[in-house]
Amino acid sequence: MNAAPQSARRIASANNAFFVDTVCFSCRNRLSQQSRRHAATAAAVSDPPPATSPQASSRAAAPIIAKGPRKAYRLMAAPVLSRPPLLTRDLNSFEKAFYLYQKRLNERLAMPFSRYFYYNKGTPADPEWKRKLQARKTPSRDIGIYDAYGNEGWNDEVLVGDRTGERESVVEALIRDAEGKSIVEESEKDQGAVTAGDAQLGEGQRRETTKIEVERPSSRETEADRSGDVKSLNRKLDRTLYLLVKNHEGRWRFPEDRVYGRENLHQAAERILIQSCGINMNTWLVGNHPIGHHAHHYPSQKPIVSKISANALVGTSKESEKEEFGEKLFFMKARIMAGQPDLGSNAYGLQEWAWLAKEEVDGRVGRSYWASVKNMLVER
Amino acid sequence: MLASVPRPTLAPCIRCCAQNQTRHASLLRRPKRPYTFTQLITLSDGSTFTHRTTSPAPIYKSTRDTKNSVLWNPSSQKLMNVEEDEAGRLRRFRRRFGRGFDAEAAAVEGQEGEAREGAREGEEALSQAEEEDSLLDLISGYGQEAAAKSGEDSAKAAEKKSSGKRKGGKKQ
Repeated sequence: MNAAPQSARRIASANNAFFVDTVCFSCRNRLSQQSRRHAATAAAVSDPPPATSPQASSRAAAPIIAKGPRKAYRLMAAPVLSRPPLLTRDLNSFEKAFYLYQKRLNERLAMPFSRYFYYNKGTPADPEWKRKLQARKTPSRDIGIYDAYGNEGWNDEVLVGDRTGERESVVEALIRDAEGKSIVEESEKDQGAVTAGDAQLGEGQRRETTKIEVERPSSRETEADRSGDVKSLNRKLDRTLYLLVKNHEGRWRFPEDRVYGRENLHQAAERILIQSCGINMNTWLVGNHPIGHHAHHYPSQKPIVSKISANALVGTSKESEKEEFGEKLFFMKARIMAGQPDLGSNAYGLQEWAWLAKEEVDGRVGRSYWASVKNMLVER
Repeated sequence: MLASVPRPTLAPCIRCCAQNQTRHASLLRRPKRPYTFTQLITLSDGSTFTHRTTSPAPIYKSTRDTKNSVLWNPSSQKLMNVEEDEAGRLRRFRRRFGRGFDAEAAAVEGQEGEAREGAREGEEALSQAEEEDSLLDLISGYGQEAAAKSGEDSAKAAEKKSSGKRKGGKKQ
């Protein structure tokens, strides 16, 4: 391609102010090597001066290789710190009905439960098991009262509104079984009356001598959910939460900063996390590639001359002045394992922070920012 | 539209079979799957989940898992500090055998924090007779008492003196 060496040389020339700012380090090296090689061959062969070649290339086919960048943009990085969901989502009614049906079907298809493998004859566990089995007619506890091998084995469908398939009733049945009760509340009066006189019948009956209390699992809705505490990581356990901060202008965004010196996006994101939220967070930056970007062009096409001061944490950063036409912000994915943000000594004048789910981020963030950000955030 | 476009003619049957998966009628044994239950698993930190298993036990309480493992919880100070045992077994051991078997660093640090606790506990738990009888406590506690009064340097010196009596300890 004729166009390529010309544009490369233009980019690679030392005079070009945009070179250092907008082209990455490895590309810069390669281009400068090519230009040096090209210059050397030109000198050796004494080719026609480069002034004529641009005309030739323009007369040739349409340029496929892009010419050098015309405008410099402020290069920024922002870590998107997220806490993945800790609980699986709730099931919808179809799924619950389907799983209940499948479990009852399994009763008829799988091999029957071999009781004597687990509960030996003569041990106290044996009559316990027999007593509990009598109440629910099946070894399983999560399908209600259903006898697969009896006359009513065909009747495996439950009525509308039946709570047998719900997760809470399954867990409750398991806990009741562990406590020694039958999975379904039975009228105890009938029990006592029937076995009053009969010693043999009353043998397997449970007497209220010791009460075993098994702790119920905590609710899926936590305290933070009820109070709406956005600073807590215990909120919305079945959703992904993202860290948003309120910057000095009062805008809610992901913590962001310019990329200094020779650091790459990964290093920049790590540094920004520490500089904004403190070191008391166990985080992991997932990869070297950004997951999204947001470009903001300064209004009326007028560049802003910005003074870049050297960043203390970046060894290769220098003080310089650049004319910038806008900002290009790249988002880097990160995960939090432990800790909380601490804006006490943050370097960006951040005022507040919050852990928000995707739709809550929508509520707090600006329109154009949301358009850039929404496709990289997870629904669940 | 379809009629106008000439369709490529396929060789009958042979081509069709190659495109679809077929399995001709053959006898399959009835699969014998074991009976499975739903079980509630409780992990050491109290979190729960259900799963399918052949075990008939309704609840399984796990005492050692990822939730109380140092490898899986590197940020947890409680787990990092082995001396601060959740089960409280070290407290029982110390009551019987004293603190001579503690790791050096933990013993010096933990003294201030747990000294008060230990004192209160000691008053309640040990009777006078037990205190006199625990010779092992005297032997192992010798170094620790000296350390409590002076400082770190003397603690280390005292530790070295009693190190020979420790089972499997380094002899310096």
